[in-house]
Amino acid sequence: MHIPDNFLDPKTALVTSALAAGAVGLALHRARRDLPPARVPLLGLGAAFIFAAQMINFPVVAGTSGHLVGGVLVASLLGPAAAVVVMTAVLVVQCFLFADGGVTALGANILNMGVVGAVGGWCAAQAVVRLVPGMAGRVAAVAFGGWFSMVLAAAACACELAASGTVRLSLALPALTGIHALIGLGEGLISALVFSTVARLRPELLSHAAPASQSGRARDLWTWGLTVSFALAVLLAPWASSWPDGLEKVAEHLGFADRATAHLSAPMPDYSVPGMSHTVLTVALAGVTGTLVVLVFALLLGRWLVRPASAPHAGRPASQRRIP
Amino acid sequence: MTPAIEIRNLRYRYHDGTEALRGVNLRIQPDECVGLLGPNGSGKSTLLLHLNGILPDEGPPEGTVLVFGRPVTPENLPLIRRQVGLLFQDPDDQLFCPTVADDVAFGPQQLGLPEPEIRARVQRALAAVSLEALADRPTHHLSHGEKRRACLAGLLAYEPALLVLDEPTSGLDPRGRREFKSLLRRLPGTKLIATHDLELVVELCPRCILLDEGRVVADGSTVELLNDEPLMLAHGLERPHILLHTHPHPSHVEPRTS
Amino acid sequence: MRPRLPLYPDHCHPPRHTAVHRWPAEWKLAGAALVLVGIALQPGFSPFWFLPLWVGLVALGRAAGVPFALVLRRILWLSPLIAGVALAGAWQPAGGPGWQVLTMKSITSLWTVILMAHTTPFPEVLRVLRRLRVPHLLITTLALMHRYLFVLTQEAERMQRARAARTFRPRATRLWRLQASVVARLFIRASERATRIYQAMLARGWS
Repeated sequence: MHIPDNFLDPKTALVTSALAAGAVGLALHRARRDLPPARVPLLGLGAAFIFAAQMINFPVVAGTSGHLVGGVLVASLLGPAAAVVVMTAVLVVQCFLFADGGVTALGANILNMGVVGAVGGWCAAQAVVRLVPGMAGRVAAVAFGGWFSMVLAAAACACELAASGTVRLSLALPALTGIHALIGLGEGLISALVFSTVARLRPELLSHAAPASQSGRARDLWTWGLTVSFALAVLLAPWASSWPDGLEKVAEHLGFADRATAHLSAPMPDYSVPGMSHTVLTVALAGVTGTLVVLVFALLLGRWLVRPASAPHAGRPASQRRIP
Repeated sequence: MTPAIEIRNLRYRYHDGTEALRGVNLRIQPDECVGLLGPNGSGKSTLLLHLNGILPDEGPPEGTVLVFGRPVTPENLPLIRRQVGLLFQDPDDQLFCPTVADDVAFGPQQLGLPEPEIRARVQRALAAVSLEALADRPTHHLSHGEKRRACLAGLLAYEPALLVLDEPTSGLDPRGRREFKSLLRRLPGTKLIATHDLELVVELCPRCILLDEGRVVADGSTVELLNDEPLMLAHGLERPHILLHTHPHPSHVEPRTS
Repeated sequence: MRPRLPLYPDHCHPPRHTAVHRWPAEWKLAGAALVLVGIALQPGFSPFWFLPLWVGLVALGRAAGVPFALVLRRILWLSPLIAGVALAGAWQPAGGPGWQVLTMKSITSLWTVILMAHTTPFPEVLRVLRRLRVPHLLITTLALMHRYLFVLTQEAERMQRARAARTFRPRATRLWRLQASVVARLFIRASERATRIYQAMLARGWS
């Protein structure tokens, strides 16, 4: 999902770069404040880890294979601020050294995958952690969060492409979110498998993730954040497909030049396009159902991965660890 | 004379509870070159990490650790770390800067020295290990032997009085070993070398300490210790062939850059 | 899906020493930035602008010893995206630039970035970023990432080879768990190495 150069127009590139810079700056501030000095090298090593991990193939069907993206995994292992820094570093190196993702689109890519994807997915994961206690809940959270992060990032990408006039939103949004809703299943599964393995082998490495130290108010904030992003992701699709039509009507009405670029103005509520309301409802319902189905799968996965792991390894002496 | 290292009754447990050190006692005088032997898991590396306060990671050590007469406490750490040069087992852990010159300059930079002095020290250190040609090479482009020499240069740049080396010749090919040995032979100051390389110990260290299961089980003349076959075998080592035959290669070989 | 290393000489072989490599990093980065912004701002394909640019890039490429094959490989990798945009444009025109202009611009931008990356060592890029007042934590992260990229990818390859040597015809579920175990162990190794690096920094006086 790395957007190359020239797929975004200058104004979108500028706006996304500004948003990304702000978000990364905030994340750096939080990381500097919350991360103990001993963990600083782990950001760099974590970024190298993500890069190397993205090269490990998970075969899907007939020669195709998937791989980990890792935003929510890193957020669950190191915390959301660290995850933003890590994903930013990965994207910067990919862009500069491997021309993977455009330089002018770097801001957009960081925003989509590093901020919206990683943090949005992490918020979703936090909500699941609140629902289900224990390690099964944390694994389920990583699974659901991983899936959600892909869908969110794809939605953001589609909006940016549409705002640039490269592809129409009514095409980009369903296509990209649809594809990534499928790909996201792999991401969720892989993230959950990796997280549960790390939890089994080195549970002490997980203690650094944010959840335990959060105050009640912060938890509520995350829940609200999840609800809002959930709502946006689910409702954006049907609304957005009516935006271009709605805007053209507005443009005709007010005598603007008819450029089909999607601005971020709210669609006029009076313009209920006949026949569209049913579609809106069905699409919204499909979105909610799909998300709930994935959530159920994630919870089942959490149960499945944690239960058999605890029994055989319970009595193993922990003498493997040696300080080199 | 104040000992370079004095350790009394040092104990240490890993986080999972296993005892790594169970009352280590040793004393090393300045300018001595001492070998530290022991089977895997005997606690050698753990012991070495106590010498500059990296272990224990929380709180004071259980026992006494004195470096040049000073206890290893948070107040003394800056000075102690200036005096102790620790060569880590994996050179990749130690060479964390982008280029060789950057990495060798790290130590002097932490001392707050002025730029010209730092540059001069980097030059001298690289010359001492014959790596001047590779000063601007990225650290990930070096061979294993070059990495080890670069790590040593990084220590020499801040001129520590005590060199502590953890398995300095492991993973080196025979030529690399010979070159590194002749390098070490030329270095002044106190040296404590933890190693499995028994030939190295015989050639460089008149004195040896044998560690097993977190305790010092023998401490004395290298030749005597290593000739004691039952002792060696009892502690996971063996009598090295060098004590039985003459070494076929001359031991002072000038290191070459590859 | 992910391009395999090695793709760039910088990471696998020592950098070459042509004149272009010796130019100050600031010039190369600023020049590349100007060219990329210029390409982005071009409304369409204007030969007066693009042709001299291409000549310049080809000349620089030859001077720096950078083969065009690299760009071609990268373009091929991008082609599904461009095809996607072309299809989308054919089906529902979006009013933006067509796919032909997009292709021209993409090739030019890629060529610029590849040239810049090949002739500018990453530590130099970091030095420029430091001068631009990029926060220290991000620069440290980038520096350490670049330093240990090769180390970790080599470890990952070794672990994958070891895993492959012992699995014969695994079912997909088992294979996924094995690969996930490789990734998990890679994280654990990265984490332990980070601790040792911190110890090595402390040992040389960092505070």
